[in-house]
Amino acid sequence: MTATTATLPSLIAPLQIWTELHRREPRLAGAAFLLLSLMPPTLFAMAVDTRTFNGVNIWIKPLKFQIALFIYLATLAWFAGWLPPEKLQSRKFRLYSCAVVAAVTLEIVWIAGASVFGVGSHYNVATPFMAMVYPLMGALAVLLTSMSLVMGVMFWRDRNSTLAPSFRLSLALGLVLTFVLTVIAAGTLSSLPDHWIGGTKSDAGGSAIFGWSRTGGDLRVAHFFATHAMHVIPLVGFVASLTLPDKAAARLVVATSIAFTAFVAAIFYQALSGAPFAPSLL
Amino acid sequence: MTLEAIFSVANMTALASWLALAASPLFPKAAILVAGRIVPLLLAVAYTGLIIAFWTRAQGGFDSLANVQLLFTMPEMVLAGWLHYLAFDLFVGAWETRTARDEGIPHLLLLPCLVLTFLFGPVGLLAFVALRAARTPSLKALTS
Repeated sequence: MTATTATLPSLIAPLQIWTELHRREPRLAGAAFLLLSLMPPTLFAMAVDTRTFNGVNIWIKPLKFQIALFIYLATLAWFAGWLPPEKLQSRKFRLYSCAVVAAVTLEIVWIAGASVFGVGSHYNVATPFMAMVYPLMGALAVLLTSMSLVMGVMFWRDRNSTLAPSFRLSLALGLVLTFVLTVIAAGTLSSLPDHWIGGTKSDAGGSAIFGWSRTGGDLRVAHFFATHAMHVIPLVGFVASLTLPDKAAARLVVATSIAFTAFVAAIFYQALSGAPFAPSLL
Repeated sequence: MTLEAIFSVANMTALASWLALAASPLFPKAAILVAGRIVPLLLAVAYTGLIIAFWTRAQGGFDSLANVQLLFTMPEMVLAGWLHYLAFDLFVGAWETRTARDEGIPHLLLLPCLVLTFLFGPVGLLAFVALRAARTPSLKALTS
C-alpha cells in the first residue's frame, strides 16, 4: 500500500482533501462536489457551442458561477470543521444547510438553463416567466449568502473554541463581512438595469479570466472582492496567529478587516463613478 | 473542435476500450476501470455538453418515429446519439466482462458476446444473459 500511495500522490491528495471536506460538513461538501462535476460537460459545451452572450461564449457565465459557488461551498464546508459538531448536527442547522444547498441548486439550474435556451439569466425580464424568476433568484442568492453570516456569528459565539482567538476572530469577521459587503455590492448591481456603469456594455475585451469592463465601471469587481472577505481575512488571521502574540494578531485582524472594507468601498465607488477597475493591470 | 474530430476521437477511444475488454484476462482491474467507468463517463461528458449546447435548436423529439427522424437530421444530435451508443454499449460490455469473471464464465465464451455488444448492443446483451442462464439453471442468472 505504501508503494501505491507513493506512486500516486497526485491522485491520492485530492481524494484525501475530499474525504476531509466531507467529514467536516457533508452537505456543503457534497454540493461542492456536484458543482465540480458540472464543469467538464460545461467546458465541452463551450468547446462546441458558438453562441455568444454579451460578446463572449454563452457557457462562460455558467462556468464562472459553478467555479465561484464551488469555492464558496468548499470553503464553508472546510470552516465548518472548526465549529462545535453538536451545533452542526442540530436539526436546525441541518435543515438550514439543506435550504442553502437547494438555493445554490436553483441558481445553477437557472443560469445554465438560460444558456441552454440562449437567453440571459440575471436582468432578463423579457418574458413573464423570466420576470417572475429573476427576483426569486435574488432572494435565493441572499439565502445562500446568509450561510456566511450564520457561520460567522457561530464562530463569534463559540467561546469554548480550541482555535487561536485571533484566528477565530478572523473567521467571524471575514464571514460576516462577506455577507454584509456582498449584499450591498450585489444588491446594488442587481437593482440596476445591468452591472456596467458607462463604457462598452460587453464582456468582449474585458479583463483576463474575470471579463470585467476595461472601458467603464463594472460592479462585479466590488461583488468579487466583497465575497472574498471570507478568504482574505481568515488567511491573514491564520498567518498572524502563527507568527504574532495573540493580542497583536487580533489587532492585525481588526485592522485588516477595516482596510479590506475600505478597499471594497473604494472599488464600489470607483465602479459607480464609471471608472474601470485596473485596465492596465487586468 | 469539429463534430467530425469529436466523432473520430470518441470512436478510437471506444475501440481501444473494447480491445482492453477483449484482452482483460491480462489486466482485469484496469480493463474494467477504463471500459466500465472512465471512458463511458468521458463519453457522457461529451454527450451532456452536446445536449446542453444544441438541444434547444434541434427539431423533433422523442414522441413519434417521425419526430425522432427529424431530431436526427441535425448533425450535432446524430453525434450525441452516436456517443450515447458508444457509452452505454461499452458500459454493458464491462458489466458482462465483470460478471463473467465473478461467475467463472470462460473468457472464450464471453468474447462472442462482447463482439455482438460492440456491433449490435442489445443483441450482445441478449446473448450474454442467455449464456449465463444456460450455464446456471436458476432465476438468479436472469434477475441479478
